[in-house]
Amino acid sequence: MIIKKESLARRSFLRGAGAVLALPFLDAMVPALGRGSSVPKQPLRLGFVYVPNGIIMDRWTPATEGAGFEFAPTMKALEPFRDRLLVLSGLAQVNGRALGDGAGDHARAGATWLTGVHPKKTEGADIHSGVSADQIAARTFGQNTQLASMEIGLEEPTLAGDCDSGYSCAYTNTISWRSPTTPLPVEVNPRNVFERLFGDGTSNDPAARLASLKEQRSILDYVTGDIGRLESSLGPADRNKLAEYLDAIRDVERRIQKAEEQNADTKLPLMARPASTPEEFGDHARLMMDLMTIAWQTNMTRVVSFMMAREGSNRSYRSIGVTDGHHSVTHHMHDPVKIEKVVKINHLHVETFAYLLNKLRTTPDGDGSLLDHSLILYGSSISDGNAHTHHDLPLVLAGGGQVRGGRHIRYPKETPMNNLLLTMLDRAGVPAPEKLGDSTGELQLLAGV
Amino acid sequence: MVRPETAVLRRTRGATTLMSRTPRKLISPPISSNIRTGHFHRVEGHTILRVGLSAFAAATALVVPCALAQSPGPAALVNQYCVFCHSEKTKTAGVVLEGMDFSNPGANAQVLEKVLRKVRTGEMPPAGMPRPDKPAAAAFTTWLADALDAAAAAHPNPGRPALHRLNRAEYSNAIRDLLALDVKPGDMLPVDDSGYGFDNIADVLSISPALIERYMAAARMISRLAVGDPGAGVSEEEFVPAQLRRAGGERKQRNERASDDLPFDSAGGMSFAYYFPLDGEYLIRVNTGGGENRRKFEVRLPVKAGQRIVGATFLRESAKPEMESPGGRGGAPAAGDHKAPAAPPAELDVRLDGLSVKRFEVGGGAALPAFRGVVISGPYNNTGSGDTASREKIFVCRPASARDQRSCAHTILGTLAGRAFRRPVTEADIEPLMAFYDDGRRESGFDFGIEKALRALLVAPDFLFRIERDPQGLAPGAVYRLGDFELAARLSFFLWSSVPDARLLDLAKQGKLHDAAVMRQQVERMLEDGRSQALVDNFAGQWLYLRNLAVARPDPDAFPEFDENLRDAFLEETDLFFQSILREDRSVLDLLNADYTYLNQRLAEHYGVPNVYGSQFRRVALNGSERGGLLGQGSILTVTSYPDRTSVVQRGKWILATLLGAPPPPPPPDVPELKPHDKDGRLLTLREQMEQHRANAVCASCHSRMDPLGFALENYDGVGKWRVKDAAGPIDPSGKLPDGTLFQGPAGLKQTLLTARRDEFVSALTAKLLTYSLGRGLEYYDMPAVRQIVREAAGSNYRVSALIAGIVNSTPFQMRRTREP
Repeated sequence: MIIKKESLARRSFLRGAGAVLALPFLDAMVPALGRGSSVPKQPLRLGFVYVPNGIIMDRWTPATEGAGFEFAPTMKALEPFRDRLLVLSGLAQVNGRALGDGAGDHARAGATWLTGVHPKKTEGADIHSGVSADQIAARTFGQNTQLASMEIGLEEPTLAGDCDSGYSCAYTNTISWRSPTTPLPVEVNPRNVFERLFGDGTSNDPAARLASLKEQRSILDYVTGDIGRLESSLGPADRNKLAEYLDAIRDVERRIQKAEEQNADTKLPLMARPASTPEEFGDHARLMMDLMTIAWQTNMTRVVSFMMAREGSNRSYRSIGVTDGHHSVTHHMHDPVKIEKVVKINHLHVETFAYLLNKLRTTPDGDGSLLDHSLILYGSSISDGNAHTHHDLPLVLAGGGQVRGGRHIRYPKETPMNNLLLTMLDRAGVPAPEKLGDSTGELQLLAGV
Repeated sequence: MVRPETAVLRRTRGATTLMSRTPRKLISPPISSNIRTGHFHRVEGHTILRVGLSAFAAATALVVPCALAQSPGPAALVNQYCVFCHSEKTKTAGVVLEGMDFSNPGANAQVLEKVLRKVRTGEMPPAGMPRPDKPAAAAFTTWLADALDAAAAAHPNPGRPALHRLNRAEYSNAIRDLLALDVKPGDMLPVDDSGYGFDNIADVLSISPALIERYMAAARMISRLAVGDPGAGVSEEEFVPAQLRRAGGERKQRNERASDDLPFDSAGGMSFAYYFPLDGEYLIRVNTGGGENRRKFEVRLPVKAGQRIVGATFLRESAKPEMESPGGRGGAPAAGDHKAPAAPPAELDVRLDGLSVKRFEVGGGAALPAFRGVVISGPYNNTGSGDTASREKIFVCRPASARDQRSCAHTILGTLAGRAFRRPVTEADIEPLMAFYDDGRRESGFDFGIEKALRALLVAPDFLFRIERDPQGLAPGAVYRLGDFELAARLSFFLWSSVPDARLLDLAKQGKLHDAAVMRQQVERMLEDGRSQALVDNFAGQWLYLRNLAVARPDPDAFPEFDENLRDAFLEETDLFFQSILREDRSVLDLLNADYTYLNQRLAEHYGVPNVYGSQFRRVALNGSERGGLLGQGSILTVTSYPDRTSVVQRGKWILATLLGAPPPPPPPDVPELKPHDKDGRLLTLREQMEQHRANAVCASCHSRMDPLGFALENYDGVGKWRVKDAAGPIDPSGKLPDGTLFQGPAGLKQTLLTARRDEFVSALTAKLLTYSLGRGLEYYDMPAVRQIVREAAGSNYRVSALIAGIVNSTPFQMRRTREP
């Protein structure tokens, strides 16, 4: 018997059946994520890996639900991690829909994936979205790590021209929003990522490092003082920008403080500083994922979001024989040749993600591996790239002991994806708000039997 | 089929039809050609033309300029053609024109600016509805523009840019100008978001913790290099080909001279700028080959501190057979029985500032080894800071003794802060910096003290932001003139993307910058100065979408002749072209229709222009050829194409949005794909495929304006090469616009743009320039300024300097609103 609904609360099933039945213990009734029974001693890491322009769903979605499902072609590369992942179907970001704003699905997709908030349609003035889930985690975890979070990617922000139908490029360039008005830049140059993590590495001497940290503190004090003097002569809109500035400074100050505390234990980075940005997609991606791993390994941060390409990306993937632009070819209009090309791209992205999972699995972390102590979400904020749909999103949740994997779970239509985000935050021990974007509670599954 | 006029008549209630009351005849549009089957403008609900007697009375009571004495007043016109859809009840597109008070247009400027634009471009009334004839429409728009301009002159609204952070380019340039250090530290910072087509828009430039950290890291690096810190250790930096474009160097395939800094007879390699931090010994290592053939060539030599050009290239033997072309394109064999002679051993030449410092023999073989990169490490055994331009700039005094140090430091920091903050500084500004100096001096001496203070200065908000302070005592929402220093900053960021120089600051201090003559002089000086290259790099680069060229990837199967040399050539051509317009103060119309361009051999071959030899760019006269102007340049033709074919729609859209300031609205979702074959399997021409754009009225509303423009350029393929046929047959580059204008090919298109659409082009360019200069998107209240600038520039046939002068003297540039209550 195949349960087509989400994990059932037994009571609800009984009500429906109208009689008392002896029910077998169905797989689907087991909560997918364990409820804090075994709190990992190592801190939990949160990762968000994004791919744009949707996915060819009939090659992605497993045919069956529950355990023992067969991996669909696009997802084959993830098979070795079967028991570490959950394939989630049916979740939606309804705020990615037009809702009267006309065109701009890509901008809305990028802006809603981790926020669940319908973004304001504007080309530049007063951009407005919501706070993203990764930043909510960052607020908490950032107390214990030098970097509150890290945002990395493979494709530079748009260089010229408009981005999506009257929306500012900020919406497609990032998935992370520190505040409703502060999109976080995505770093694409591996060298800059490295330097952000480990500094320009001019000194390995702890005393010298401490002195440097002290100096940075005093510089920030100076800057804060300067801002104070400015505030009085500026208007409210300007004050918002200054507040953004102060907020950012506070974050850096906190980092410095952490660095001072951890100075004695600061581990040396286990990789060489990258010289340049690799040309080829695969090389670039792997380098970035190595950096992501090392950031987690050295506990420089616990929250990383990684965009394999900008939302709406139109880059080509010559290495797999796709010379068309990605976005162009996802508007396939049911042409089988184009569909095959999209499938190839989807496959490449999944393979790339598999590299990350493998890397995490083979990196020791305390009493286990990094994968044991992480929760990573992979997917897109558009399902059918041809029709720009924002429901039944392609999502895979991978991770460690928290994830009782090996299942394909389908949720009722229009279940907010934010419910998943809320659940992830809860599992990770982040005191999350009652409501996140358009969430309606934690994922049904997890309410238990 | 319902005819609109009868519908109108039928639906009129109350008084007899307005039509019969108007002083002139009812204008009947040629209905049959304008109405397509099923295309009747449906408005929400039932449309009832209500003739508001009060509105009518107001219209007749309106005092209208003489020009309109014979025609209906504006209210009458609007009532006749617009209120049908834009009534109180129906509010089509949210616009209500019923009852509009035309005696006070300023009060409704926001809506009326929209009306003006739509009627001027002919978008409204929409095709299929009754339209006024051309003279009436023109009279109306002229009157409306004048009225709005008059209202704006009486009550100026200059807007208020938000607090404006420097973007990466501005940051790099500021460091260059303040400290004579051209190391492009902006590249260390996260990429800026853009809005309205530019990355210098105040509202969009956000601040994140990552950015702050990078600012601090950059400040550390900059201060170390600028002061020349002898305590800095040995560093190693690698330069690889792909990266070079960003480092400001050049990358070329082999077989061509890679840069002007390399010898004439060289092939391949690279040349780039490197800042040697201190006097000392440096090791330059060149890596070549790949796989098993990796080799490295090292030279260690003493170098004096400062910015130098490092080059590494292969030298060819000077005597070469004439027939061999440097491009070395595989394909047509040269005339005669020509085979490539066995190459003698190649030489690898390492150069510093144009002089050869070492030559290596690389060994024989027909093929030159590939360049992998250059690594520079050092300084070893450094002998001190040396005399660099940066040190000269910073150390405006030298302490004679220990006792003089502090006061000298005070002078130095005061000077630096004044330049960096772009305003006179006070003790309150300098004291905190002195605290850093004291720390540094205690630690390691005078120079280090300055270095430490510099690290703080470069992160100060007064440096990183363009601060414009409301004067004290003004009411909220009031309008005021900017102070001289603020004006100087706006000028320099506009024309140089950098901080004001000493001359500007001096004039500001004397309070002279407001003088119109002084301003004119300064603008002229600034445009002549080399720093105005920033307008080409940053304004043109974004306005024309040139920055996208760097990431364009034309498919090698579809366009095998495209390579990095061509890409660089495209960019260089447009760069030099735009520069020439700027430097020679040409009319901006020449952007569309110049009789010259800049070519090197590679590009000339691509374009089919004969008799151009060598890799250097030079000006070439075009004799009425199909090239000439932006629309014939490979850069623009490539960024408006798909990787494997041209796109008529993209090009049409680009022309509308970029050149005419009338971007089409986005397409509806679920646009069906073009069918490439007809029923009998014949391959359709692109034109035939796109017939659907015309057949379907919903599509036509936008595509009839876009497609003809793109079709006119179909003779240029996806990388700008001229062709007369594509896969489906001969190309037909004719175009017909909705208003009946016909043109043929690029020449015809250019003509149309230069004549019928000339005003739109100049207005669009002005609007873009104004946006770029203000760092904010334009609002309805900026439109009078745009019109004024265009009007005034007409006298000089729209020379660049006239447009720029107009912008610099405009209300939004010179004035500001105080914060809202």
